[in-house]
Amino acid sequence: MTDPILNGKRVLVVARRVVRQLKRDRRTIGLITFLPIFLMILFGYALSGEMSGINLGIVDYGGQDDLKDHLASVDDFALLFLGSESDAERLIVEGRLHGAVVIGEEGDEVRVLLDGSSPQITNSIMAEVRAGLTSGETPEGAVGGGADGSGMAEVGIKKYGAVGGYGASGVSGGSGGFEGSPEIVKRYIYGYDLEMMDSVGPAVLGLVVFFFTFITAAISFLRERTQGSLEKFMVSPLSRPEMVAGYLLGFSLFALLQSATTFLVVVFVFDVPMNGSPLTAFATILLLGAGALVLGAFLSNFAKTEYQVVQFIPMVILPQVVLSGVWWPLESIPAFIRPISRILPLTYSSDALRAVMLKGAGISDILVPDLVFLVGFFVIVFGAATLMLKREVG
Amino acid sequence: MKDGENSAQNLAPNSALNSSPVSFEDYSIVAQGLQKSFGKLRVLSDLSVKIPRGTTYCLLGPNGSGKTTFIRAVAGLLHLDGGDLSVLGMPISEARMVRPRIGYMTQHRALYPDLTLQENMEFYAGLYGIEGRRMAERISELLDMVDLAEHADRITGDLSGGMYQRLSLACTLIHEPDLLLLDEPTVGIDPVLREAFWRFFDDLAEGGATILITTHLMDEADRCRIVGYMRAGRMLAEGSPEELKRLAGLRPILKLSVKEPEASASSLAAVGFDARVTEGELYVAIEEHRQIKEVLDLVEPLDLRLIEPTLGDAFLRLAEGSR
Repeated sequence: MTDPILNGKRVLVVARRVVRQLKRDRRTIGLITFLPIFLMILFGYALSGEMSGINLGIVDYGGQDDLKDHLASVDDFALLFLGSESDAERLIVEGRLHGAVVIGEEGDEVRVLLDGSSPQITNSIMAEVRAGLTSGETPEGAVGGGADGSGMAEVGIKKYGAVGGYGASGVSGGSGGFEGSPEIVKRYIYGYDLEMMDSVGPAVLGLVVFFFTFITAAISFLRERTQGSLEKFMVSPLSRPEMVAGYLLGFSLFALLQSATTFLVVVFVFDVPMNGSPLTAFATILLLGAGALVLGAFLSNFAKTEYQVVQFIPMVILPQVVLSGVWWPLESIPAFIRPISRILPLTYSSDALRAVMLKGAGISDILVPDLVFLVGFFVIVFGAATLMLKREVG
Repeated sequence: MKDGENSAQNLAPNSALNSSPVSFEDYSIVAQGLQKSFGKLRVLSDLSVKIPRGTTYCLLGPNGSGKTTFIRAVAGLLHLDGGDLSVLGMPISEARMVRPRIGYMTQHRALYPDLTLQENMEFYAGLYGIEGRRMAERISELLDMVDLAEHADRITGDLSGGMYQRLSLACTLIHEPDLLLLDEPTVGIDPVLREAFWRFFDDLAEGGATILITTHLMDEADRCRIVGYMRAGRMLAEGSPEELKRLAGLRPILKLSVKEPEASASSLAAVGFDARVTEGELYVAIEEHRQIKEVLDLVEPLDLRLIEPTLGDAFLRLAEGSR
């Protein structure tokens, strides 16, 4: 009479039922497949507009107040203060910044990182940096001599895909400028011209799957409980893990369908590069979807009606939309909120999907911390969800 | 309260039904002193009951008397606060072992409204490991039995209340359970089909299955072999319907139209009958049906009617006594 906790046949029976139910629910099927397309197109066009003005990063280690004041006074510049030079580098690679100025202590060199892909912007950044330095120190034209780069080392950083790795940094060096005024070191970073959609698309792929899986799962499990079938299961040989596993299996078909449609729009309509293996991307999405499903199953225990499930959206989905780096980099989120970002599954899926699609990362590149976190999240919430189902009884 | 308790104790459980001595294994459910509270509300209060194998047992009682709570406890869905409960020979803590042998039909609409009847049946068959040809046979057999065969491909959510109830019963029976727990199973079912259900329940019991039913319909309770009357979480009275009627002091009554009722009444009273005249009619209480002949030997009625007591009368009487 002993029965394994996880009987594969019963899991399949549940999965088959879930698929049959969803298949018959035309509206949900439509929602699952077409809404993501609609959303992507909406996001895509909203985000593909040209950036207005020049986005310039400032990495400030103190000093050169005149330069900072000057740059802040330039109307065309939108300044973003960053913590480190590597952040600046990355943002330039991703196309979010046109350039960055790294200001050392008084008397140190000033490093200017530039996106090599748009010469006009590069020139205007350089001109303003020079103007800012000369205004406080030496009279007109002081930096002029080295202005055309003869005295400067230009170090290129190749784009990720070509090298197969990421985070590679070039060697900086070279000097320029007159004595008395700080040296200006110019570095070109050849990020490809990344539209915002390129960076947002992969992350939104995860967001869409997470959102729909979470909502559908939460409502399905709520129904099992309120309509009394959960109670019937408890008296049958079906175990709780089998039930949740059956749902996982059934839902993953739909999550795949959904990510496939979203994926096609992202790649073919918006030309977001797919440098890595689509299989790796799908595996990541499925892992994220599994986490969303068990989270929905878990939280459904705290709702009495479907209306209350809807109330979870602002609680569960919204923080992930805002804090997980889907739209803007984590670095631009205030440091004291960042710990929250670090416990959100979407933070890790966004990072992983970007790495796979844009940088061609493989499984081993995204294993730590992304996949490890997603697996851990799934396992913990799976446990919590099955325990909650147990607690419901009696 | 006192009277009720006494009457339950006075009546040895099932004494009339099992004249031969019974052993422990002959009971499907043995409950001893069950306690259960939800917060401050006491739902089961020292409930003891033994339900023999192969019988139809009816739990009767007003809403909130603890019938459903008891059924859920037997199904292993409750953590009891106290008492001993064994189901199919296993302590309830080992409920997992006997679960595959239990069929539980809840009061909820627990089937999937967006699946067809066939698909719902297939799902429950699958949970119990019934597959292939055996599944197909079993499903068509059960759908025939509940008279739903021609609706097999309809969507369950479109069924009427009675049809739904029939499907629910069919799903509960899919794995041929040894113990059937049916919480108000015949709600919304028309009298003809209800009759068919009961014949079927009798057949199942005949074949050795134990059927525990809750209902608040007296005429249904009358069809069970044993009836337990619950009130406020305890068993007030238990026995066969006939026993309960007798226990409540109810007897069949002969209503007679005679020419001289007063004279007939005194001649009947002279031989020991309880005879009274009300509004010109003669009423005679009898203990057994064969006494009718004795009465007719003494009087010559123009018209005659036998008034049988109902189980409802019995419970009204018992409930009054328990207050």
